[in-house]
Amino acid sequence: MLPNNQHHFIVIDDSKLDCFIAEKIIKNTGKCASIKTFVQAKDALEFIATQEPLSPLPVIILVDIQMPVMNGFQFVEAFEQLPYAVISKYIIYVISSSINDEDMNKIHIYPTVKQFLNKPLTSNTLSTLLSKE
Amino acid sequence: MEKIKILYIDDEQNNLNGFKASFRFDYFVFVAATTSQARAFLEEHSDIRIILCDQRMPDQTGVRFFEEIREKHPNPIRMLITGYTDIEAVIDGINRGHIFRYIKKPWTDTDIKSAIEEGNKFYLTNSLLSVKNDELRSAYDELGKFAYSVSHDMRGPLLGVIAAIEIINKSENINEVKEIAGMMDVAVKQLDAFIINLHEYYSLKRGSLVYEPIDFKTIVGDLAALFKVAGSMENIHFTVNVSQTGDFYSDLISIKIILNNLLSNAFKYQRKGSDNKYVEINIDVTNTVATIFVKDNGIGIHEEYINNIFTMFYRATSEETGSGFGLYNVKDALNKLQGTIEVSSTINEGTIFKVTIPGKTHAAK
Repeated sequence: MLPNNQHHFIVIDDSKLDCFIAEKIIKNTGKCASIKTFVQAKDALEFIATQEPLSPLPVIILVDIQMPVMNGFQFVEAFEQLPYAVISKYIIYVISSSINDEDMNKIHIYPTVKQFLNKPLTSNTLSTLLSKE
Repeated sequence: MEKIKILYIDDEQNNLNGFKASFRFDYFVFVAATTSQARAFLEEHSDIRIILCDQRMPDQTGVRFFEEIREKHPNPIRMLITGYTDIEAVIDGINRGHIFRYIKKPWTDTDIKSAIEEGNKFYLTNSLLSVKNDELRSAYDELGKFAYSVSHDMRGPLLGVIAAIEIINKSENINEVKEIAGMMDVAVKQLDAFIINLHEYYSLKRGSLVYEPIDFKTIVGDLAALFKVAGSMENIHFTVNVSQTGDFYSDLISIKIILNNLLSNAFKYQRKGSDNKYVEINIDVTNTVATIFVKDNGIGIHEEYINNIFTMFYRATSEETGSGFGLYNVKDALNKLQGTIEVSSTINEGTIFKVTIPGKTHAAK
């Protein structure tokens, strides 16, 4: 059994550097049970749809908004089409470097998105949000 | 200069004949004896600039006619021809703002001519204004897209580098530091490519075309040298065929932007691990047209995305770090040169771009 303050993470960002940074920061919190990174949202979606997540739940997803082919919002829309039994095991945080009113408003229409986070991801913001889980 | 088109409406045939006789040398004159005939002319000739209509038409008044056509044909300048007794109608028409001028009956050639000249000036000013308005609107739209994308595409790599520096500062592991430095390198180069494309975008939007003789062999040679230095030609077989007969005049900056973007894409979007990578450029130039084929056997473009590749900030793949700007600039440059571009592509087999650019025969043109 893992200690109960541990979490599994999925990071989706088309920038390899940003994936790497997220991985580092998440690992440094000491609350990371596992982490998987994806540079393509489609691959992440497939992973989520086919793999049974390990406890403890929920798994935390950090997804970038602006990505080619499937952007963050398209990912969330596709994710919300999955069976409730799957959706309920995840919590989504949307991350981006651009703070655009339209994006900010859009976030509220997706029930599975918990919060918007600014880039760069810092250990402070991450620790704060993990302490609430 | 082409004659401007005038429509004159009057139910008296004599007046119509007289009008046509007086003005057919100066203007392209349409005459109509009924308002329904006038409508037919307006439908057929959307470039009629000035309409003169007699107030007392049998089926309806001139004021009423103008009121009715205004919505469907807002551009032509409307002028009412009327006798003294119709002064109420004139006041009515002018106050409702849909008549540019009224002309007293009986009219003289000078009255009509000066009214038409004034009306034409007004027409030109208005159309110029509406063209400028459209330009302004599209510039605004672009600015909006820009502000959004710039904050992502320029801030994104920077924020990544800032965060990476923080990690490096805490790291004791030299291998890790080197690994991060490699990723920072990619991020910074991506930012640089974006800025170069941004600059190209502005030189295309704001610059005017300068026609000079284009030597394709030299341009492609220079570009090939650049790609070699950048190392992007590693293990990629590059074939250049240039056949140029005669002088070809075009805008050098635009041509460079087109070739550079197409070639750099061909080198960039290769299949990793493939052992027979190639890029081929074939240019055939006569003094009237340059036909360019850029061919690669790289990753190809998905059918679903191929129609969007020329859209600003659109990226069809996450394989490589595109700026979403390159092909937009290519298309923009070709629009300015009145050239064309076609693309055919198969996933995992490669892509062929075909570009044609019409040449100018003289630098002065």
